[in-house]
Amino acid sequence: MGKIFKKNKIIIKKNHGLPAQTGYIVLELLFYIAFFSVLSLVVINAMIIMARSFKETTIQAELVQSGYIMEKISREIRQAYDIDATSTSTDLKLNTKDNDGVNKIIEFKFVDSNIQLWDAGSNIGNLNTPNIAITGITFTQITTAKGKAVRIVLTLRSINNLSGNTEDFYNTVVLRGSY
Amino acid sequence: MKKIIKKIGFTRLVDFGEAPLVRDRIASPKFTTGFMVVEVLIAASIITVSILAATAVAQKSIYISRQAFHTTQAAFLLEEGAENARIARDNSWDSAIGLNTSEQIGIFTRTVVASNVNRDNATKDISTMGTNDPGTKLITVTVSWLEGGTTIIKTLQFYMMDIFS
Repeated sequence: MGKIFKKNKIIIKKNHGLPAQTGYIVLELLFYIAFFSVLSLVVINAMIIMARSFKETTIQAELVQSGYIMEKISREIRQAYDIDATSTSTDLKLNTKDNDGVNKIIEFKFVDSNIQLWDAGSNIGNLNTPNIAITGITFTQITTAKGKAVRIVLTLRSINNLSGNTEDFYNTVVLRGSY
Repeated sequence: MKKIIKKIGFTRLVDFGEAPLVRDRIASPKFTTGFMVVEVLIAASIITVSILAATAVAQKSIYISRQAFHTTQAAFLLEEGAENARIARDNSWDSAIGLNTSEQIGIFTRTVVASNVNRDNATKDISTMGTNDPGTKLITVTVSWLEGGTTIIKTLQFYMMDIFS
């Protein structure tokens, strides 16, 4: 800008006697600089908002995906016919049947921010993805006059969420196999 | 006009009348063939408005993705409400017929209501007319929450029979 201004001054000098509108006056330049500054502020702000919203959308997508952990646990509880006596509030052992009708134990174990799925004594793997940290899971056994049920409270967070906000999932499932 | 365009070198976005012609006469050719500040100004404004529009889309995407997550949570709460009604039925049919609860779970409000069911006198099918069937109840589970100023309501309805007494 300064260069143009200088240039214009030279032009004006060269063309003495000509009207002043041939170049830019300081006020004009000031206005343009101010205007461009405001525009660039708006643009930078918009960029920051967009980057944040992209991150937020990613986190929300991860959390929605983690709903499948609850879905998997619920389905297994529904199929089971009993709860093993050695179960604890963070370690649920379900007595269930495999495809051939043979009894087996399905276990959901809370270990180091992960929920492990154990099928007939072997560790199948973690139900949560690596970017989801489980902060707590509680299995509460409910005994009714006709059967059993389990209440699940699952608390988790995305490791991309630096503010450390946790989200809760609640579900209660009646063991259909116990009827 | 044709003459002016030829002298300037390219068609300008804004017609400044005689001014470009005058400047063309007095200034160096290098200076006149560049962009004018007004043109840059218009271009910058258009870019800014487009970026602002993109920001609005990004903010809407946050709202939608949050709503999707809350809907997932609400789906489990609905399921839990239905299972709670089954637990009440399993304990005693009397506790199931009197179901009318409302509770607050985080941002969600859940209500579970049992209502009477009528059966057609001739076909014994569930209908709005006919006589009340004491062995069947219509369970309505409702989960509602506030999302960006608007209340979102999800409802789950099912019939429950007295199969144990």
